[in-house]
Amino acid sequence: MAESAVAAGAGEVVHVHPEELGFWRTYVFSTDHKMIGKQYLFLGLFMAVVGGLLAYAIRWQLAFPDTEVPGWGFVGPEDYNALVTMHGTTMVFFVAMPILLGAFGNFLIPLMIGARDMAFPRLNRLSFWTLLGGSLVLLSSFFVPGGAASAGWTGYAPLSARPIYTGVNWGLNLWLLAHAIEFASFLMGGVNFLTTVMIMRAPGMTFFRLPILIWQLLTAAVVFLLSVGPLIAGAIMLLMDRIAGTSFFVPEGGGDPLLWQHLFWFFGHPEVYVVLLPAVGLAAEALPVFCRKPLFGYRWIIYSTLTTAILSFIVWAHHMFVSGMDPRLAMPFSFTTILISVPFAIMVFAMIATLWGGSIRFTTPMLFAVGFLSMFIVGGLTGIFNGSAPANIHVHATYFVVGHFHYTLLSGVLFGGLAGIYFWFPKMFGRMLNETLGKIHFWLTLITFNATFFPMHLLGLGGMMRRIANPMQYEFLQPLQPLNVFITVSAIGLLLAQLPFLINLVWSLAAGRPAEANPWEAATLEWSAPSPPPHGNWGEAIPVVYRGPYEYSPPEVAQDWLPQDRALAARPG
Amino acid sequence: MTLERAHPNYVTVWVWLVVLMIAAVLVSYLPLAKSAVVFLIFVIAAVKALLVALNYMHLKFEGPVLWAIAVVPVLLVVGLTLLLFPDFVFHHH
Amino acid sequence: MEASVATRTAPQILPGKVGVWWFLASEIMVFGGLISSYIVARLASSGWSAEAAHLSVPIASLNTLVLLTSSMTMVLAFGAVGRGDRRGVRTFLLCTILLGLTFLGIKAYEYSSELRAGFMPVTSPFWNFYYTMTGLHALHVLAGVITNLSLFVAARRGLRNAHRVELAGLYWHFVDVVWIFLFPLLYLT
Ligand SMILES: [Cu+2]
Repeated sequence: MAESAVAAGAGEVVHVHPEELGFWRTYVFSTDHKMIGKQYLFLGLFMAVVGGLLAYAIRWQLAFPDTEVPGWGFVGPEDYNALVTMHGTTMVFFVAMPILLGAFGNFLIPLMIGARDMAFPRLNRLSFWTLLGGSLVLLSSFFVPGGAASAGWTGYAPLSARPIYTGVNWGLNLWLLAHAIEFASFLMGGVNFLTTVMIMRAPGMTFFRLPILIWQLLTAAVVFLLSVGPLIAGAIMLLMDRIAGTSFFVPEGGGDPLLWQHLFWFFGHPEVYVVLLPAVGLAAEALPVFCRKPLFGYRWIIYSTLTTAILSFIVWAHHMFVSGMDPRLAMPFSFTTILISVPFAIMVFAMIATLWGGSIRFTTPMLFAVGFLSMFIVGGLTGIFNGSAPANIHVHATYFVVGHFHYTLLSGVLFGGLAGIYFWFPKMFGRMLNETLGKIHFWLTLITFNATFFPMHLLGLGGMMRRIANPMQYEFLQPLQPLNVFITVSAIGLLLAQLPFLINLVWSLAAGRPAEANPWEAATLEWSAPSPPPHGNWGEAIPVVYRGPYEYSPPEVAQDWLPQDRALAARPG
Repeated sequence: MTLERAHPNYVTVWVWLVVLMIAAVLVSYLPLAKSAVVFLIFVIAAVKALLVALNYMHLKFEGPVLWAIAVVPVLLVVGLTLLLFPDFVFHHH
Repeated sequence: MEASVATRTAPQILPGKVGVWWFLASEIMVFGGLISSYIVARLASSGWSAEAAHLSVPIASLNTLVLLTSSMTMVLAFGAVGRGDRRGVRTFLLCTILLGLTFLGIKAYEYSSELRAGFMPVTSPFWNFYYTMTGLHALHVLAGVITNLSLFVAARRGLRNAHRVELAGLYWHFVDVVWIFLFPLLYLT
């Protein structure tokens, strides 16, 4: 079998016979990690369009309540609940994870560590197809009688525990099923990531020579594997409540709705880092390349990443300060939440320090990386308000929270993810994206992003609740309605701002300038392979690694970067 | 895959597992305080689980990495359970 | 750590083994979440012991014995792989499969007698947990039986994929360990 020969081992000289694979084996049922990465990318982008359209309908309803949404139809309060539920689920599980973990993890892990493929190529193919199945299940839930799930993306019980409470029966069951399939897919993916990095690294690729992105992906995979179990258990219990009539989360049968919240957030908070860490990693790869400087505090970033991972398991109850949870838990969970901002701040400062004194090249990926860093700082700062119990009680379940998590999560997916796409597009497809269109895309996105999400903090402080379909019903919110209209106009602008990107993507795929192997003059291993890399990534021999990933402007050589696979005759230290 | 390494006597381990199982059933009928019975039963269960993990799953022969992969989730489950205590056990509805 | 450049970081352990252990780690969290919920729910209210007393300890003890024995035959199959003993591999795999099916059969009998006695999954929180936990475990046993069956069929053609017996064994023993805890949690306390 071709794939097992290719995946046989890092570091060995493997004879790759470029066996002709047909169309189906090359593009559809591929086991090549690069093709699978691209499949994840396109699936994630497609689901992003779906999630974006849902956001459009949501925003229209909030700005102009109970009027016909142009090109969509009437929304109203009941459909509104389904829209916000499906928007959150789609964006977190079917856009952020497929793009940040699925696409970049699969495409980059073997290339960055010097392997010919993932450890389990066929499992890899299975995990993509599983995810595709999950996406179809999720999408199909719009079309079943009763409509899509409408208990919020957190699916809080008891609302979610009995079909009669929401009036949605099959939609919510399919929603649970889609989650189960998605979790299975990313469990397979996570096992593959971890095994690959643990045992397939090229000769000389020690753990402290791995690019930061690999560390972040590894940590994200571990955090996901270890946090999702209790939610799977909870989802099984919820499904039993809905289908078999048990009362795990229903008080009148002796259950406790709070248990669902605990199980959900035991996963839900670590999930934030599952999405954020890879985004940080993507930005961290772009920064040193375009500053022509080594990444500042490489090891500190690694230690901070690991600390974040450990702490992420003991902060979850900060989502539950007003849930009726034991108040004695509020203090310790506030404390750990404030504590977790320390390692994250170290990462952010290390990235800012990388910029300091660099000879910066303002390419599109660099703009998006810096954009991510600045937007993420806003999200981090507002997180302090949410994380400490006294302030949280004031802003809980208001638009302040909605603003906050869009500044953290959406900045990660949008700015971090786009930094990654603009940066590795030449490696993925062998062509350059258009820089002018890229810069237009960046500035429009930056402006509309802030115009959309910054005013949400003001709405929240003004008291606007997070889950209402019609703010005009409340007299005290009516004076804030112009702000809602402004946000909606900006949000439509943010969606339209993605058009230059889509045009750029399609046009460059077809007719972009062909990319050389290392267009950005970067030092990590993936740039030593041709663009796009062939099946098996390198020719006869796997590269040998001699140094860390960020040796820019070194004194030893005339050229201002030293690739990881370049040996020097005599090197001090 | 012919790793001719010294392996434990699998049948002896099985005998121990069965003896411990019978012991746990007998303990559950002992006229002791409920908490003592529960304690003993779960100590026995832990020993049985350890016997299986060490001998049948060969953790005895594995390096620290596989140990960590096996032990960390167990610690997380214990931590989760303890952190749920205030809300459910110490809290009377 | 950055010492010599030429050090090979080639596999010292089978990739499959690392993969299966990571998978088991996530499985520990699934059953852990369920068990943890059960423990706190049980300690939060009284009267569960009286309901648990309706379960049959003799039947469950017999089933525990069956599963413990199946773990032994599974590991003996792995031992046979090490000796290159194809007949032994097939015999012990077959024993494991049959014992797994016996476990499921006894479990089905147990369910039916409980249902006949009027203890439904919806009867009370204890029965909610009882059926969900043992049901999820039984599904895992079923998955293990199917895996072992495929290995048994493959072993007829030789031992080329025999290293998978070790991987399937890890999973099978894990399912056994879960039962080792479910038995006292549900039946003995
Ligand atoms: Cu959180």
